[in-house]
Amino acid sequence: MKLPSEKKIPQYHNHYLPRSRQGWIGLILFLFLMILAEPPIVTSWANRIEPWIFGVPFLYGYLTIIYCFLIAVLIWISWRKL
Amino acid sequence: MEPWVVATSLIFAYLIFTLILGLIANRKLAIDMEDFLLYGRQAGFVVLYLTLVSTYFSAFAFLGSSGFFYTHGVGFWAAGTWTAMTGVTTYTLGSRIWALGKRFGYITPADMLADFYESEIVRVVVALVSVLFTILYIQVQVLGLGYILSIASGGHIPFQLGTAILLAVAVLYLIIGGLRAVYWTDVLQGVWMYLAIWVGALLLTYKLFGGPLQLWRQVAAERPDLLTLPGPQGFFTPGMWFSMGVVLTFGVVIQPQMMIRYYTAASARTIKWLGATIPIYSITLYIPAALIGLGGALTIPEMETPDRIFPVLLFRYTPPWLTGIVLAGAVSAAMSTLDSILHANMTVLTRDIYQRYIRPQASQAHYVWVGRTIALGLVVVAYLLSIYTFDFLVLLVALSGAGALQLMPAVCGVCFPTRFILTKTGVLSGVGVGLLVLYLTAIVYPHPLTLHGGVWALGANLILTLIVSRFSQPPHPETIERIHGTLEEFVYGQGEKALN
Repeated sequence: MKLPSEKKIPQYHNHYLPRSRQGWIGLILFLFLMILAEPPIVTSWANRIEPWIFGVPFLYGYLTIIYCFLIAVLIWISWRKL
Repeated sequence: MEPWVVATSLIFAYLIFTLILGLIANRKLAIDMEDFLLYGRQAGFVVLYLTLVSTYFSAFAFLGSSGFFYTHGVGFWAAGTWTAMTGVTTYTLGSRIWALGKRFGYITPADMLADFYESEIVRVVVALVSVLFTILYIQVQVLGLGYILSIASGGHIPFQLGTAILLAVAVLYLIIGGLRAVYWTDVLQGVWMYLAIWVGALLLTYKLFGGPLQLWRQVAAERPDLLTLPGPQGFFTPGMWFSMGVVLTFGVVIQPQMMIRYYTAASARTIKWLGATIPIYSITLYIPAALIGLGGALTIPEMETPDRIFPVLLFRYTPPWLTGIVLAGAVSAAMSTLDSILHANMTVLTRDIYQRYIRPQASQAHYVWVGRTIALGLVVVAYLLSIYTFDFLVLLVALSGAGALQLMPAVCGVCFPTRFILTKTGVLSGVGVGLLVLYLTAIVYPHPLTLHGGVWALGANLILTLIVSRFSQPPHPETIERIHGTLEEFVYGQGEKALN
């Protein structure tokens, strides 16, 4: 019988990465949307007033749409019990 | 009747109602630490949802966010990124913290970290970092409360008296009803502040501009600098946009008042649905804040203290009863954060210091009374801090979220198993160097290369944690198997059955 100190350290697969196809889909979708809401896109291409989106300036409207999609992805992830 | 009488009376009516809720909570209270400190680990979705969001949004989020839009323009809509990320961290990290708490009976963040890293030094460091960086956040709420009551009363209730009254109410329902009272008042506060900010913003927008769409057009015509980045004062650089997201996502979730809430959920599904849906509340709360801030910048362009724009607009342009109701919403925002931080610090000091080192074998009722005494002591400290504002305290307030953030590598080392195991020496080294770099990059040389000091500190923390862990002794294999094995089974195996 091995003494406690002689036991090997248990090895587990990385918990930072998904292990299912749907998990990868959720992760990639979320990251893609976050990239759209971060520099350099948000501070360059999206950084303008025109054209107006549903009556609000472009930057504000663009980000609002991105945030709606982010929430939708989160709800989908929870609904699928990922 | 004088407007200040109406406004102040409504605020006091709200305070009396919170005390009544505290008394009702007391009738359901079981005199043991799990019920007094953790709601018996039975918090359902609605209660936990509203307590999480109302804890997250403080007085300065209610008032300060409008001020930020006023000063820096639409760049503060970056808040959507960190609130979405808060949902992700609640879903992933929150559910794991819940699982470990249920399986091993953890009550505080330090319980979990000390168990895995097999170190009482880790326990003490985590407890001290948690309390130190959040106790000064209490001061921020106290200042906000005193200010709100002073404004609402037109100066008839001085700042010091107003502060004392509101602190007394908050600590009273906390010590009477424990976390149950905190949660029930948070339910009221979460609903009230959301409705208050929306109603106030829409009424002001329609009265002053004819509606939100007309407001946006007028801002574009008169102040287009408010509608693009980096904003009038150049604040929202690419580096600051990104780093605020990092600090305000993880720095909030790692704070003890948030982590303790994860322990209180009735199930893992509750936490996961919270993670998915909390961003709805959080993100939409910033929409009226934008209307108030941007509209205020057009209406009163020379505000000395932009954080005051919301109450000033209310007093000038809305009836006193509405001003009272909305300012009661601001009071509720501050009190919901204040009572949560008081409770968290009370829990940490009772469990991690008193029970652990001073009187380990006392009864549950004894610890409940000790907790109540500690809460009273914290309130006295908070009151004194609000009256005597020292320079270094102001600096420490600014470090609050970024400071708690330095515990993140240690927490992730427990909650996300990988083949590489962090060690107690590694995490302690990382926390130490993280706090030092935080001091240098947030105070001495603020935000180098426009990156928030918290990000520099976290980076240095993480690098040193990994390097030192590589060359130091990991926890015993039995501990790793017990804790990481539980998470492996919980996440990828039997789910909640693995926790029995």
